[in-house]
Formats: sequence, structure tokens, C-alpha cells
Amino acid sequence: MSVEAPPRAAATDRPRKPAPSPVVIGGLVVAAAFTWWAGHSLGFSLRPLVENWSNGWVVIEQFLSPNWPFIWRVWDAWVETIAISIVASAVGVSLGLLFAFLASRVTNRSAWGFRATRWFLSVLRSLPDIAYVLIFVALVGVGSLAGILALILFNIGIAAKLTSETIDAVDTGPLEAADASGAGTAARARWAVMPQILPNYLSYCLYIFELNIRASVVIGIAGGGGIGSVINVQFSRFEYENVAAIVVALFVVVLLIDQLSQYLRRRFV
Amino acid sequence: MSAATNRTQPATASAVTTPRPSEPSKTKATLTWLALLVIFGGAVWLSNARWSEITGVFTDGWRYFQLMLDGVLENPFAEPWSGYWTLALEKMMESVYMAWVGTLIGAIVSIPFGFLAARNVSGRVTVQVTRGFLNLIRAVPELVFAIIIMLPIFGFGPVAGTVALGVGAVGTLGKLTAEALEGIDTGPVEAARAAGARKLAVLRWAYWSQVLPEVVAFWLYRFEINIRASAVLGIIGAGGIGQLLGQLFGRREWEQIGIALVVVIAVTLLVDALSGAIRHRIISGGAVKESTFKEDAVSAV
Amino acid sequence: MIELKDVTVRYPNGVIGLDGVDLQIPDGQFVVVVGLSGAGKSTLIRTINGLVPVTSGTLTVDDMEVSGASKRELRAIRSKIGMIFQSFNLVKRTSVMNNVIMGQLHDIPWWRSLLGLWSKEEKERGFQSLERVGIVEKAWTRASELSGGQQQRVAIARALAQDPTVMLADEPVASLDPPTAQMVMKDLQRINRDLGITTVVNLHFLDLARAFGDRVIGMRDGKVVFDGTGAEADDAVFERIYGRSLTADDTLTESA
Repeated sequence: MSVEAPPRAAATDRPRKPAPSPVVIGGLVVAAAFTWWAGHSLGFSLRPLVENWSNGWVVIEQFLSPNWPFIWRVWDAWVETIAISIVASAVGVSLGLLFAFLASRVTNRSAWGFRATRWFLSVLRSLPDIAYVLIFVALVGVGSLAGILALILFNIGIAAKLTSETIDAVDTGPLEAADASGAGTAARARWAVMPQILPNYLSYCLYIFELNIRASVVIGIAGGGGIGSVINVQFSRFEYENVAAIVVALFVVVLLIDQLSQYLRRRFV
Repeated sequence: MSAATNRTQPATASAVTTPRPSEPSKTKATLTWLALLVIFGGAVWLSNARWSEITGVFTDGWRYFQLMLDGVLENPFAEPWSGYWTLALEKMMESVYMAWVGTLIGAIVSIPFGFLAARNVSGRVTVQVTRGFLNLIRAVPELVFAIIIMLPIFGFGPVAGTVALGVGAVGTLGKLTAEALEGIDTGPVEAARAAGARKLAVLRWAYWSQVLPEVVAFWLYRFEINIRASAVLGIIGAGGIGQLLGQLFGRREWEQIGIALVVVIAVTLLVDALSGAIRHRIISGGAVKESTFKEDAVSAV
Repeated sequence: MIELKDVTVRYPNGVIGLDGVDLQIPDGQFVVVVGLSGAGKSTLIRTINGLVPVTSGTLTVDDMEVSGASKRELRAIRSKIGMIFQSFNLVKRTSVMNNVIMGQLHDIPWWRSLLGLWSKEEKERGFQSLERVGIVEKAWTRASELSGGQQQRVAIARALAQDPTVMLADEPVASLDPPTAQMVMKDLQRINRDLGITTVVNLHFLDLARAFGDRVIGMRDGKVVFDGTGAEADDAVFERIYGRSLTADDTLTESA
């Protein structure tokens, strides 16, 4: 306490309000500047929303009167979409499981090996699904094979990421016990880790199947077969009533599969 | 040397052999596997895939890979390669801008929806209606938004894609915000109410302050997803790297494709790392796991 | 025969786990190791089967050198050493039988173990191990449905299924209630007597140590400070090992 300080009985010194952290301020400034720059580069403006509403409305009206019978006319494409999703999910999650074991510190004893796997997986996940479809269309031609192969690569990335995070969090007790009895790496992963992650893994499998159904629009538009290719054709012919019917039906299919997988998930846990 | 070596013989010193319980039947498991196998086989058949074409992956794959590698390994500062790199980078940045602005639009719009969809904030009917609306948005792929509403109004180009990404983001962000609000500590809410605060003040200071870090982390995560999603939108002419990829693949310009893919991977990894680091800082200890966001379509189709 | 010659263990963070320990444990002996937590009991046990590497000195089990063994050799050595843990370390989501067979994984080809195709002999060995601890009838139940005492018995059966020459137990009864703890200790003792398996048990209850230990080893700060029979280990000895006067928590029966 300084001697010169004037005797203040009523109030003690108020601590000054701390200035906000420079990191936060800097971050916000950078974010604002980036936003301005991004909007500027895109030529972003919401004016067309008002100006072009009337000519957009013509299209929207077509969308609001879907051509329902069209859904059944493309029955084969629906079957193809489901089949593509099943094949890709099955292969993708199986390989994904293998990569998950390689990408977890818990199950991969080689520190170098697990880092390399993680790195490989993040590269795999950094490409959008559309890029894989384009690549495989170039390699094996337009059709569902390209869609299947693209989805497989895409699924490996997601399945391995989700599953390896689950593996990282397992109870390490059984692992220690397996080590203490001299079990090999594969046997240890199968019997000390797999039973622990199984319910989660099965739920990831269902989730990935759902993702694949949702992705079918993208897959088809890029040439990977299924219902998306129908959308692509109808869209380029400006048959918006047909596109609308397909989109609504797809929405219903996604909801049904969502319900089914929720029911199955409840049974696993 | 130990007495343990003779243990494999059934007669042990401890007691007479007790009856072995019979192993539970494996029929159910076998049948399940069989059913799955039949489904898989059926799907392989019904997918109409021309499986013999798969050889193309190994024959053409290697050739194309070498071409792509050639493109990447050429001196990036010499014409025409420098132009390819610049173009790819420009288009990729356009995708990043689309994702950023789109996510921001989605984030701002999702805030009121989040409050309306939180059970501990709004009434039952409001919650039901809002949740239904958010689920509807979540179920529709962004691509469909872009096709249906955006292209007729905004025309081809990145703005249409940006708005589509924004609309798509409202669904997930609204839902996650609502869930975060429902998980808050009720103590501060009671304290604010007890002090006679108005409803709006309670929402701002007791609810919003508690969820802000988590919600900002959701925004950033959605931004990461939208970068991938914006590439998808490019394929129907909504700008960004997707459009460039579509054109390059159409012309089979493998050298340029290689360059574009390297740019996509590098920029995506960089943004992911940056955004991930910020997310971990915002939420101390980085408690948010990828699986928290699982319900959000990772591809954000 | 377990033999430690001037064994020192230093952890990567600089903490000394064992400090120049010399020990000889002849075959078939039932040894109880006592000491406060952090005294090096747990390190001693984990060093014997190579879960913790030796920094200096030599350690042999049945004339096989643990210190400096290759990964493959270490796995072979471990397959002959059963281990029991305080928290049982069972895989709770799978059957008791699968847990017990985990003890034999060392000897099962990997492709058979991946598919879970156990042979009749392997299952019979599992049954025999479960018979030793008196819970054969639980063979096909899920491990999560068992009580703590039953789970620890399954863990003992898993160790027995290894057909071990040495059994290590790290605080095997610390998570159990007193009557169950007594029974689990009796199981361990009976197995030691019947099969002649050398047994090393960490305990912190001095009454259990006295009752069951043919030999009691006291540890403090990574050093052996007492080595004698159970009868010799009176309260004064324990006070010396613990470096403080005894409390009710140091005995099983009174702390309950």
C-alpha cells in the first residue's frame, strides 16, 4: 500500500477491466477481413434474390408439381442406387476397419506405422467424393462400377477415422492382459479390442450406408450410375417436374433407411 | 521344471470333472452371416456394374498416374505449368470463399432456429415444428438446393453455390445449437431469473454465453465440411474447384488434373489443420470429437 | 526359478522403480510382496514379465533372460507367465470362455484366432482352468454379467489357461470385499499348492500377507527392506517397511 495514496474510505481501487486478449481481437479482425475479401471475390450479392424472384418462380412452380408416376418409371435406377450403396459400404467398412486398426496408437505398435497410416487417411479424406467419381469414370468408364469404386475409397476414409477414434478410447486393461500373456498383434486386436468397439463399429457401418444413399445424387451426376444419373438427364432436359418427383422420393428413402438403422442401432447396444 | 506340465491331462488334483455347460447355439450368427452374404451377392449382381472393366484401374490407372505426376513435377514457375498452378489455386480459393461465406450465412440464420428448437427455451409445439423444418433441410442434399432454387435465381456461378451451402448449413447447425443449448448448466439460468432478468437477457447471458465456444466450434467444423461440399456444387456449374475438375476430366488433361488434385489436397489439409487447431483452442482440451459431428453428412452431399 | 541380479528400473520420466534389487525365488514358492504404493511392488511384478524394461542388471525366469530379450523372445517368455490384475482386465462384452482362451492366444495360429475357431482341446483347457476356480457353469455367460469375485476368478482361469510356470498377481484383491478377497487368495494358494506354480502376489493388507505368504518381501523406495517368512513379519517389521505406525486400513478384516 503506497503511503501517498489518498485515504479513500468508501471505495477501494477498482480493478481495471482486462483488455480482451489480443489473440481474440486479432482473430476476429482476420475473420472479418477474410469475410469481406471472400464476398468481394465471389461478387456476392443477395440482390438477385429480389430481382430474379419472378423468373426463378417459374422453375420453382414446376418443382412444386412433381410428376409422381415418373418415380416408378425409373425403378431400375433405384435398385441400382441401393445395390451400389450396399456393395460400396460392405467393402468400404471392411477395409476401413483394417485401416482403423493400423491408424490407432492402441493397436499399431509401430509409432511410425500409425503416423503414416493417419497421414494417408487424411489425404484420402481431403478429396471430395466427386473427385473420386471423376477419377474412376476416367478409368473404368461411365457406369455404376465407377460409383462403387469411388464410394469405397470415400467410405474407407470415414470408417477408418470414426473407428480409430473409438479404438483410441478403449479400456486398455484387456490389452495389458493380452500383452502379459504373450498374444500377437492380430489376436490382441481381435479379442481385446474388437469386442469393445463392436457396437460403435456396427453403428458406423449403418451410418456409412446412409451416407452412400445420400451421396447417390452426386455420384450419378458425375457419371457413377444410379438414380443420380436419372436426375442428371432430366435436369439437362429441363424436366423439373421429374427431378422434383425423384428428389421427394429420395428424401422418403433416406428417411426410411434412417428409421431402419435407428431401429437396428437400438438392437446392437 | 514344474508340476504344471501335466495339467493338460483331464484328471486334475482338484476334483472330479464337473459337467461342461453346452456351448450356445451358433445357428443365429451363421444365419445372419449367410443373409448378409446373400444381400451382398444380390447387390453385386443388381448394381449393373461391368466388373470386367475393373482392369482399367490397373492398366490405365498407372499410365494416368504417371501423367499426373509429370504435371506435378514440372517446374511450377515455367509456362504453361505456372498458369495451371495459378488457375487451380484460384479456383480452390474460390471454393474456400464459397464455403466460408456460405457457412457464415448458415451460422447466422441458424442461431434463432437453434433457440426455437431447444426444449429448455421454447414451447413444445415450436420445438416440434422447428425440428421438423431443420430435419427437412438436413435430408435434402445441397446439390438439390442449388439445382432447385439457386440456379434459376442467381444463375450459374459461385454465388448460387454459396447460398446453397448456406441453406444446407442451417439444418445441421440449427440442430447442433439446439442440442448444445439443451445441455447447459441450469444454475446460471436460475440465478439470472432470480435476479429478475428479462427473458432476452437470460437467453443472451445465461444461455448463449454458455454455448458460444461449442457453437463456434460447430461452425468451424461445418466450414471444413463445406469446403468439400463446394467442390461437389462446382460440377453443376456453381463455381469453384469442382467446375475446373469437371472441365479437366472432360478433356482428360491429366497433367493439369494432377496439379489440381495436389492443390485440393494441400489446401484442404491446411484449412483442416488450422480450423482444427482453433476448434481445440476454443473448446479447452479439444473435447469435441469427430463422432460428435457424425450425424452431419461428412460429404455434405 | 526367478532370479534378479542387481536390477534397476528407471522410468523415462526419471523416477526410479527398482533400485539394485537382488532376489531369488525358487520354484513353487508363494511369495507376497508388501509395501506402500509407489514402493516398487508393481514395478517388480511388471519387470518380471517384461512389461517394464530393465534399465540395468539381469533378470532371468526359468533360465530365460528377460532383460534384453527380443520382442519374439519376450512373447515366448510371457506365454509361460500368468498375470492377474487389480481391475481384472477382462473383455466384458464377450463370453467367459473367450476371455479364458485369450490366455492361450500365444499358441493359436493367427487366422484361427481371428475367426474365433477354437479347437476342442483349447476349449477343454478353458474348462479345466475354470474348474480350478469353481465356475465352469459360467463358461458361456458374458463376462459383464459376473460379480467382481467371479470376474477375478475368470482372470485367474485365463492365466491358468496359459499353462504357466509362474503366476504374478498385482493387488488381486484390492477391488474386492473382504470375504471374496479371502476366497480369491485361497484359490491362488490352492493353485500354487496343487500345481506347483511359483506365485508372486502384491498385497497391502498385512494380515493377508502373513496368512498366505510362505515368504514375505518388504519393499520401500524401490529396495528390498525385508525378506523373511510370514511368521517373522510381525507388526514391528511392517512398521519398518511402511515407515510409519500401522492403522486399521492396513488390515483387511479391520478396515472392512
